[in-house]
Amino acid sequence: MKRVVVVVVLAVLVGVGLAQGKTTVEFWHAMSGSRLKVLEKIVADFNAAHPDIEVRPVFTGTYEETLTKFIAAYRTGTAPHFVQVYEVGTQTMIDSNAIIPVYQIPGMLGETWDWAQYVRPILLYYSVGDNLWSFPFNSSTSILYYNKDHFRQAGLDPNKPPTTWDEVYEYGKRLIEAGVVTNVLSFGWPDWQFEQQLAIHNYLYADNGNGRAGLATKVTWPDPFSVKVFTTWTRLAREGIFLYGGPEYNANSAFTSGKISMLFQSTSSLDSIIKTANFEVGTSFLPRFSDEPRGNSVVGGGSLWVRKGQSTAELRAVWEFFKYLSQPDVDIYWHKGTGYFPATNAALKQLMDEGWFAQSPNHLTAFLQILSGRQDTAASIGVRLGPFVEIRDYIRSALEKALAGTLSPEAALAEAAAKANRALQEYRSLVK
Amino acid sequence: MSRKTLYKVGLHATLLLILIAVAFPLYFTFVMGTLTHQEAYAFPPKLVPGNQFFANVTEAWHRVNLGRLMANSALVAVAVAVGKIVLSVLAAFAFTHFHFRGRILLFPLSMITQMLPLPVRIVPAYGLMASFGWLNTYYALIIPYLASTTGLLLFRQFFLTVPDELSDAARVDGAGPLRYLWNVLIPLSKTNIAALFVIEFVYMWNEYLWPLIVTTAPQMRVAQIGLKMMITSERTAAEWNIIMAGTILIMLPPLVVLIVMRRQFAQGIAMQSTK
Amino acid sequence: MEARFPGHRLLPYILIFPSIAVIIVFLVVPFVQAVQQSFYRTSPFGTTTLFVGLDNYAQLFSTPEYVRSLLTSVGFAALVIVGGLAASLGIAVLVTRRIRGVGFYQVAFIWTYALSPAVAGIIWALLFDPAVGLGTYVLYRITGYRINMLVEGVPALLIAAAAAAWNMLGYNICFYIAGLQNVPREFEEAARVDGAGPWRTFWRITFPMLSPTTAFLLFVNMIYAFFQVFGLIDIMTQGGPGGATEILVYKLYRDGFIRLRVNFASAQSVVLFLMVAAMALFQLRVATRRAVYSR
Repeated sequence: MKRVVVVVVLAVLVGVGLAQGKTTVEFWHAMSGSRLKVLEKIVADFNAAHPDIEVRPVFTGTYEETLTKFIAAYRTGTAPHFVQVYEVGTQTMIDSNAIIPVYQIPGMLGETWDWAQYVRPILLYYSVGDNLWSFPFNSSTSILYYNKDHFRQAGLDPNKPPTTWDEVYEYGKRLIEAGVVTNVLSFGWPDWQFEQQLAIHNYLYADNGNGRAGLATKVTWPDPFSVKVFTTWTRLAREGIFLYGGPEYNANSAFTSGKISMLFQSTSSLDSIIKTANFEVGTSFLPRFSDEPRGNSVVGGGSLWVRKGQSTAELRAVWEFFKYLSQPDVDIYWHKGTGYFPATNAALKQLMDEGWFAQSPNHLTAFLQILSGRQDTAASIGVRLGPFVEIRDYIRSALEKALAGTLSPEAALAEAAAKANRALQEYRSLVK
Repeated sequence: MSRKTLYKVGLHATLLLILIAVAFPLYFTFVMGTLTHQEAYAFPPKLVPGNQFFANVTEAWHRVNLGRLMANSALVAVAVAVGKIVLSVLAAFAFTHFHFRGRILLFPLSMITQMLPLPVRIVPAYGLMASFGWLNTYYALIIPYLASTTGLLLFRQFFLTVPDELSDAARVDGAGPLRYLWNVLIPLSKTNIAALFVIEFVYMWNEYLWPLIVTTAPQMRVAQIGLKMMITSERTAAEWNIIMAGTILIMLPPLVVLIVMRRQFAQGIAMQSTK
Repeated sequence: MEARFPGHRLLPYILIFPSIAVIIVFLVVPFVQAVQQSFYRTSPFGTTTLFVGLDNYAQLFSTPEYVRSLLTSVGFAALVIVGGLAASLGIAVLVTRRIRGVGFYQVAFIWTYALSPAVAGIIWALLFDPAVGLGTYVLYRITGYRINMLVEGVPALLIAAAAAAWNMLGYNICFYIAGLQNVPREFEEAARVDGAGPWRTFWRITFPMLSPTTAFLLFVNMIYAFFQVFGLIDIMTQGGPGGATEILVYKLYRDGFIRLRVNFASAQSVVLFLMVAAMALFQLRVATRRAVYSR
């Protein structure tokens, strides 16, 4: 017994000794499943390469849970040093008065940093004015996935996916008439797909430049374009072509099991879809309306926010980790393991040079889509709203009502807009 | 066959039919848990079990770390059941064996616990856990649950039926109240303790909302949340065969406890319904 | 009743202290804070706090979502309670028809009590999965109607209610069997001698005598249908489609923990408290009356 005590005491002393001069920073994130392993490997490698720093990653549940928990912890003084927040929470974080905008960090540490090295649409999404507020980490966008085997069975060219909504309709009819499937198309994250449709046609979602020039006061819908989107989807649903698949990733299984032939989903599902599907998966740009202007698909996913009120040593540790994430090799490892965009242009170039995209063309789709679109309008960069979670709920609910036929597309959007505007107004009364 | 026999056979047949109907969802769950991913997506659905059960269970087990989740659930459910029994025995003893001013508290206490279920205090209760630093700890999963009106009333009612002679005899022997409680009352209460244990174990194993908000770290999650994690994890969603294999594991412990201790549970119900 | 252990003045307080401490710290204090918070509005990070008086409450009853959620809750509870209790009573009556094997049937039905609402939810979500559900298939074969609970509100609510009633079946049957076994046979026999048919006997004699059991089950099922089904809803529908299954407790959770409107959620807590208090007082009245009868 005595010997045990001695050993324990010694171990503790040694541990304390080693820990001295070592800065530990905590990192809360929402990466589960296979991406968790990728992330943990990156952190472990970083810690091994930096004996004086320890980044301690803590998985804190879904994005929603992570943000709720971060707020509770911040208010009680137990928040981590940096945290991953989903794109919907961006405005809340900007207004939180709880963070250090990342563009200020190099200056605070007496360094300079070239922000132009990050892929431009991602950089723009997380910037206020010209300044980057959160560190780009896991960015994705939405693309079209389709089942090439189904296309062949229906006598369609497997290398010609639909590019317009008219073609979606036409192809859908063919696939159903050929008896390949009973429903053709479904969405993941339907609320986000609505944002995508507005953005790829360069239409605003909310005023004040999508909430980027100042806090939004009103949403723009229902306007003729948003009604057109809803009407198109409702018509496709009535024809049996579109099958509503519920929120988030619920629709994926219908696609991977061959119940439907096309799916709009986040690029971050790419690896798991290819792995689960036992047919040839094709990917392409989101279909558009041929008679409408061009915008760009918007970035989703998450970014890293740095809590204010930490020592210089801690801040330096966080910053070292961010710089590490920006190294092309690390960035590429992240991309290949998860399907998220690599955040830097250097990583992108290296991937191209090593022939990765030729080998895995599905990984290229999202890039081509996002880099070929406009990057000069607020509508094409993305939406930033305080009560964004709530507003997405309203949009999803409106879509469900329009599809079920309880409300006309226009009435459903108008109902959601009234709720959204009330939420925006309430948010502004608190943040000024 | 006489009319009476016919009537009885008919009655049993009806009851068995109802029983099959009620149990059918469970059977379908089991079948789904034994299929491959492709078989699971057959329409019309398959009704004959496949041979993938252990593969699916293994997959579910690894995917959401079910072992850890179920261990957490077991720990929390046992701790809460035992803690509730201890606290309510002590309080019931005080309320039945002593004459003290605090006795007027009995009624308000039982009303308060009935009137303040979790949803009416959930937001500040969460804040309280955050300020104690209890988020993602067993404390948050156990301690707020420890007050129990069911237990208090159950034991109070039982202690009132214990004849005064027993406590008189104990006093004459020079035994103090705690010794009397430990040596006499508690052994007499075995059935009630067992009944309360079943009720509270099943209750706690099945709790969902509070564990959902006070824990977020995967190693602190409980089995019920594992169900949600299976649906949303890995982002491919709804692999019903694996989800159902996991579901079967998660529902097993309270089912076993209930069936093994059904007699005590039935007595507990009888006590409650005549309270 | 006299004190059985006179002379111990402090001991009883020590014995009740742990229970009281838990109740005060984890029940009473948070509830008082909820009442207080319901008069304010705070930004998510607490940077700004405004006193808004009754504005949160005004918003509850002036926005259609809350009223709708309230109606949904009531409708859902009514389905679960009426459907569930009627089915359980029917089964319990059959089981206690003086046949052998009452014990067997009791065990054979009780198991649904051991399943959590979340488990019941996941089982019925599978049963009525639009793509692979057996229920979906059977319904489709019989009626030609392909039910999709991800899109259609009314079916989603009905299926969720069916799952909840199924989940409570074991508990309700158990209590009704116990209640029926307490009904003295003589009354029923006397009625039958008077020429009343079994149907009439049941409604005139047996059912009124079961009213304490029914009142108790009413309360338990109400609490279940209002609060404990949270897990079932979270797993099955997450309040959708189109808010068709967004019962009060689910809305409270979303507003408080997802949409970060804590004060609005606290106001909902206070409204819920008023409802629970009314139910508890009602149950208390029935229970005291029952106590008087049984003496």
